Amino acid sequence: MNAAVSVDGDAETTANGKVVGTTVPRADGDAKVRGIAMYGMDYTEPGALTVRVLRSSVPAARIVRLDTSKAASLPGVRAVATAADTPGTSGMLVVKDQSAFAREDVRYVGEPIAAVAADTPAQADAAVAAIELETRPLEPVFDLDEALAEGTRHIHPGWSDYEVAVEGHRGGNLAWEARVERGDVDAAFAEADYVVTDEYRTPRQHQTSIEPHAAVARYENGRYTVHTPTQFPFMVRDRVAEHLGVRPSQVRVVVTEIGGGFGGKLDAMLEPIACVLARKAGRPVRLVNSRTEEQTTCAPRENAIIRLRTAVSRDGTLLAQEAEALSDNGANSSGETVLCANVPALVLGSTYRIANVRYSSKVVYTNTAPTAAFRGVNGPYSVFAREMHLDHIAAEIGMDRRELRMKNLLRTGDTMINGQELDDACLDVAMDRLNEIAPWGERRSEDGRLRGIAVVPATWLTNPGPSAGAVRLSEDGSVVVTSGAVDIGTGALTGIRQIVADELGVPFDQVLIAHPDTDTAGFDNGAQGSRTTFGMGAAALDAATRVREQVLEAAAGMLEVSASDLELAEGHVAVRGVPDRRVSLAAVAGTAMWTTGPIGSTGKFAAPPVNFDAGCMTGALFTHMIGVSYHAHLAEVEVDPDTGKVTVTRYAVVQDVGRAINPGLIEGQVHGAVAQGLGYALYEDLRLRDGVVIDTGLESYRLPTALDIPPIETELLENPGNQGPLGIKGAAEPPIVPVAAVVACAVADAIGSPINSLPLTPFSVLAALRGRDSRDESSRSG
Amino acid sequence: MSYKFTVNGEGVDIDAAGVTPLLSVLREDLGLTAAKLGCGEGRCGACTVLLNDRPVAACVVPLEAVADGAVRTAESLASGDAPLTQVQEELLSAGGVQCGACTPGMMMTLTALTEQQGEWTEDSVRAALTGNICRCTGYHKIVDAAMRCVTAEGGSR
Repeated sequence: MNAAVSVDGDAETTANGKVVGTTVPRADGDAKVRGIAMYGMDYTEPGALTVRVLRSSVPAARIVRLDTSKAASLPGVRAVATAADTPGTSGMLVVKDQSAFAREDVRYVGEPIAAVAADTPAQADAAVAAIELETRPLEPVFDLDEALAEGTRHIHPGWSDYEVAVEGHRGGNLAWEARVERGDVDAAFAEADYVVTDEYRTPRQHQTSIEPHAAVARYENGRYTVHTPTQFPFMVRDRVAEHLGVRPSQVRVVVTEIGGGFGGKLDAMLEPIACVLARKAGRPVRLVNSRTEEQTTCAPRENAIIRLRTAVSRDGTLLAQEAEALSDNGANSSGETVLCANVPALVLGSTYRIANVRYSSKVVYTNTAPTAAFRGVNGPYSVFAREMHLDHIAAEIGMDRRELRMKNLLRTGDTMINGQELDDACLDVAMDRLNEIAPWGERRSEDGRLRGIAVVPATWLTNPGPSAGAVRLSEDGSVVVTSGAVDIGTGALTGIRQIVADELGVPFDQVLIAHPDTDTAGFDNGAQGSRTTFGMGAAALDAATRVREQVLEAAAGMLEVSASDLELAEGHVAVRGVPDRRVSLAAVAGTAMWTTGPIGSTGKFAAPPVNFDAGCMTGALFTHMIGVSYHAHLAEVEVDPDTGKVTVTRYAVVQDVGRAINPGLIEGQVHGAVAQGLGYALYEDLRLRDGVVIDTGLESYRLPTALDIPPIETELLENPGNQGPLGIKGAAEPPIVPVAAVVACAVADAIGSPINSLPLTPFSVLAALRGRDSRDESSRSG
Repeated sequence: MSYKFTVNGEGVDIDAAGVTPLLSVLREDLGLTAAKLGCGEGRCGACTVLLNDRPVAACVVPLEAVADGAVRTAESLASGDAPLTQVQEELLSAGGVQCGACTPGMMMTLTALTEQQGEWTEDSVRAALTGNICRCTGYHKIVDAAMRCVTAEGGSR
């Protein structure tokens, strides 16, 4: 464990001229502040038609008649598309249960039924209005428990015919189930001093990128080209191909500037619709979502129910735990919800020692818009449930809340619930450091304000997906990195430039990143789970290492010395100890061009295998953790007992990042993640009534403003891992994971009453306060 | 109807209905795409421009209200390849830019703030920024940049 690193580092290079570890300003910033960065919402092509989509207004119905002939004959209409044009059945990697347009049945409000491409927006609107649609209502299913109950209508009557990537436990409205079972749960419960039971409910949270989804498509030479602000170009390529029934190589995805992702732009959304219309119209088409379409149809974090039952001994040892997690898949598996089915179990069993567990995570179909990934996926609600439940346990056995956590904390050499050993765990270090920043103890309520405090440790992972990249030395001595990795604003590509610059001894600004394009770039698993600097960084470093060898070989010939006597710095290759004897990288590149051939190499990354107990899990697609990082968060809150308003007065983060490539950019990720976590904890709730999204815009979907975010004290720990390049671990996603938990625990401490659902609006806090008061009444009268 | 006003110092004459949002004229007729259509209801502030030196949400400002006025967009801050303004420089160096979609609107609010006389405190700066939603940064680095622009130690240009 190295010392904590300062996040106040300036833009200077380190003493040895290296840029890794320094706060280099982001490389794409100039275009952004000049307002000329070309986002998906800004991009268009000459002659592009406007696309509008007919979306379902009902949550569940059989399509009786769909007639687009009148619409097609209106002025300016160049093409109309329906399910007949998109023959494929697709889905996000696991269960293939989604069609681009509704086929026999409509399954959610907002589901695409048809789309039109026309010369002008007004003509496209008129054509959508002229589409004739008759439907017969079906019994809608909204409630997660009801969906799984005997006798409830199956939203996908043909579920057993769907193609699946792997078989798993599923059936009817159960889209997927993952189970973990270890130890002798029943015996542990039988000998427990206490058994504590709770249920927690959490809402949908919408990514609400400032930029909506957008796609501009054209069709030429039998191939589709689509420009889109996507986090995961290769996923979009594959999903478009699957929907259209063509090979992935017939689709080319070019990534524009991306105006916010947060998980919401991982998957194909508008691209299949744009591509099919471009082919039918023989013209480029442009499709941009309205804000209402964004909020009502674009894949938020799933709402969930978590039920926990824990056996505890008098001394606070966690003996055994049972859990049932119900996650709302929505109407189909177009998001990552099925893929992440086992994440709640991993979260519940990755921070504290629990020898015996029986966890079941169920992903459930409902007649609502599909859910998908949002930063931290299932993590924020699973940690919220885990930590509130721990506070309940602490109250039952009369133990200090922090002491209970420290007693059960996983330490170096302990194993998580999947049998994976944590050989670098530093949860205890993070908790101790937090205790130095803000010593633990009761916060006294005064001036009529209720005050509370909480600390929450958490373990998190880095997305383990593969990457390929190419690095080449240009004839002018600059370096070009070509990859499918995209920068959604995190600055991850700035980090990759830093890594490559140091490996090749070139100034940071001499490393360029080619525009992501699936035709020219190697595969990359997308900007998700903090993996870009980790996975793509490893691939780029691998390629740069090979380029370095080629450079040294060519320079050795030029300088007539052994390659082992050479060093790279300041864009030159020099003889070690004789700095005057050097050649520029431009000269090396020029010489190599006509002798050994141009200098360049590909590089790649695949996550190394990890030992875990596969036998304890069934249906788990996320089985273990790669690039494991350790965290501790602290929140202090004030609650106004008259209004129920919660104010977070202090927030502190201690985060293991492995190695900080760019401390300032990481701090920016911590701030942003905590802000989104505070939104989830306090304000954000994408409400649905009878399957209809109520919060169709930012008028009622409450996002945090500049006045809502408390100071965030941030300390980065460097505890290098051995799976990513240079010891790094994913850093951008994890700081959202413990936020709702630590805020809710602090509020519960302040009001002396448990919190069982999110968000903590003034209404829900007042209700919890009233619950406490009525309990006090009954205990007094009893 | 025909409406005459200036955009970034140049006179324009737009023939459109008086209820047409200023934002659609900027983006679609004039090709000025810095201001973004984030929400279309004046909540997110990604479309913020200056109308007669005051920040407005261009998505809900009708052309009728712009007549004879002066509009400034983010494109005017450092036009062409001119050096960045202090607001732009500070935002970049403070780390106040991530995805950048809110940035053009944020910069116009900050520009108005730096042009107004008055004693700015962190609280009043935060209050001034509540009309600009940033989903990426958690605001602190934007506020840091703003404070450097409006206080003496930031060295105003």
